[in-house]
Amino acid sequence: MADPISDEHWAFLLERAGLDPSKAPERFAELREGYRLLERLQKSVRRPRDRAAEPAHIFVHPKG
Amino acid sequence: MADPTQLSLAEASRAIANGELSPVALTEAYLARIAALDGELHSYVLVLTDQALAAARAAEAELKSGRSRGALHGIPIGLKDIYKTKGIRSTAGSRVYETHVPSEDAETWVRLRNAGAILLGKQETHEFAIGGPDFTLPFPPARNPWNTAHYPAGSSSGSAAAVGAHLCAAAMGSDTGGSIRGPAAYCGLAGLKPTYGRVSRRGVFPLSYSLDHCGPLTRTVEDCALMMQALAGHDPLDPASADVPVPDYAKALTPRLDGVRVGVVRHFHEKDAVAGFGRESTPTATYVETFDAACRTLEGLGARLVDLQLSPLIDYADTTRVIMIAEAYALHEKDYRERPQLFGRHMFARIGLGAFLSAADYVEAVRQRRELCAEFAKACAGVDVMVSANATGPAPRIDTLGTYSTFERASYTAPWNVTGSPALSVQIGFENGLPLAFQIVGKPFDEAGVLRTGYAYEQAAGFYRQRPPIAAPLPGR
Repeated sequence: MADPISDEHWAFLLERAGLDPSKAPERFAELREGYRLLERLQKSVRRPRDRAAEPAHIFVHPKG
Repeated sequence: MADPTQLSLAEASRAIANGELSPVALTEAYLARIAALDGELHSYVLVLTDQALAAARAAEAELKSGRSRGALHGIPIGLKDIYKTKGIRSTAGSRVYETHVPSEDAETWVRLRNAGAILLGKQETHEFAIGGPDFTLPFPPARNPWNTAHYPAGSSSGSAAAVGAHLCAAAMGSDTGGSIRGPAAYCGLAGLKPTYGRVSRRGVFPLSYSLDHCGPLTRTVEDCALMMQALAGHDPLDPASADVPVPDYAKALTPRLDGVRVGVVRHFHEKDAVAGFGRESTPTATYVETFDAACRTLEGLGARLVDLQLSPLIDYADTTRVIMIAEAYALHEKDYRERPQLFGRHMFARIGLGAFLSAADYVEAVRQRRELCAEFAKACAGVDVMVSANATGPAPRIDTLGTYSTFERASYTAPWNVTGSPALSVQIGFENGLPLAFQIVGKPFDEAGVLRTGYAYEQAAGFYRQRPPIAAPLPGR
């Protein structure tokens, strides 16, 4: 399977997130394998929406 | 009395109330089963022998003095080890909390204890309710009571395995994307994810604030109703708790469903699973036939069935995943930065993806959630309850599950976390000697309608009467 992300991009993402892969190299290697899933997840929720389309966690005031 | 662990919670409750069964004898019988069988199942991470017996003796004395606390008085149960228990180690299945002893109880445990329940022990969980089955953790993954080479599902894996093998009368699980209903399906149990806000989450290690639900795992729907009676109700200290009246759940149970309108969401498993997630998510032919047969049983009970169309399954599943990963990562970010080596591999990999989601990704997922909730509310308007698939095949072997399989395959339970709807898993048959199940889904706070439908189906179909071989009485009992 093609690597979904270059070494440079991966290093950039880790640094931006404040993560140090030297603390758990095997764990971070597996995390990198999973990066390919993010693209699908992001695409799945990013769709054209009206600007007025509110998120689900706005206040719902109690009745009465 | 012959082995009392063969009784359902409801049957044991009636026997205790009639003076035919002693809480001490019942507790001793469960502890004996745990000692004999849990080496194979790994359903408990901590057994509270002395405390349980002391609580059983106190329950017995109270009953003898004429005071009854109700249906759960003297009933031995277990708690998933993400429920905090004051003075008792509560690990969340993680090295991060391996020696953690809380100074407070989960509100749900307080309610169950006040109702007379006896705590047998803390039960195995996937790490922080997401990272399992992980053989690198200090606590071995629980096994399926129907076949210990197979997966009991997760993350309430120990709770489901224990209930299925009669190592407790009932247990508490938690459900963020299906962690009560998945184990209920694979272990042949009733498992209810109540409406978001119906049961307090206070004192339970969170995974994802807006998707987490607490609920019971039991052998029968009637047992589920009895557990819910103690659990449901407003908790002013849980910010998501709803102040909504609680009905009498046991009274809602009826053997017939005359006039009940049941919406059937077929396209999730008949079309969307393969279209969205590929061939590996193909339902088995036996599952499809079994689901249809279960629908016919509902019709035979007097229900009126109508097919319903919602957005594709992948829309619901991916909305759940983005929200869950983002919220969970925010919760654990400090440990990811400072001591990542403490996490198990599945927990680290699955939740670590949240480090790379943007704020806009999260907001878009929450906007999508609102759209899905709105369409669901509209679809609900014309029916009383809905049914949809649960896991669409039998439990796989426990050694075949990859780190990311939980994100790559269809999830039939996630939609009802997105909508916060009450959803009950009920067994509908078997494939290769392993249970199959579907879900009964209700309108907000209509757990009574969901339980009623599940009870009528369960009594008519009768699958709950078949127990796994490991649940048989111990020799000499």
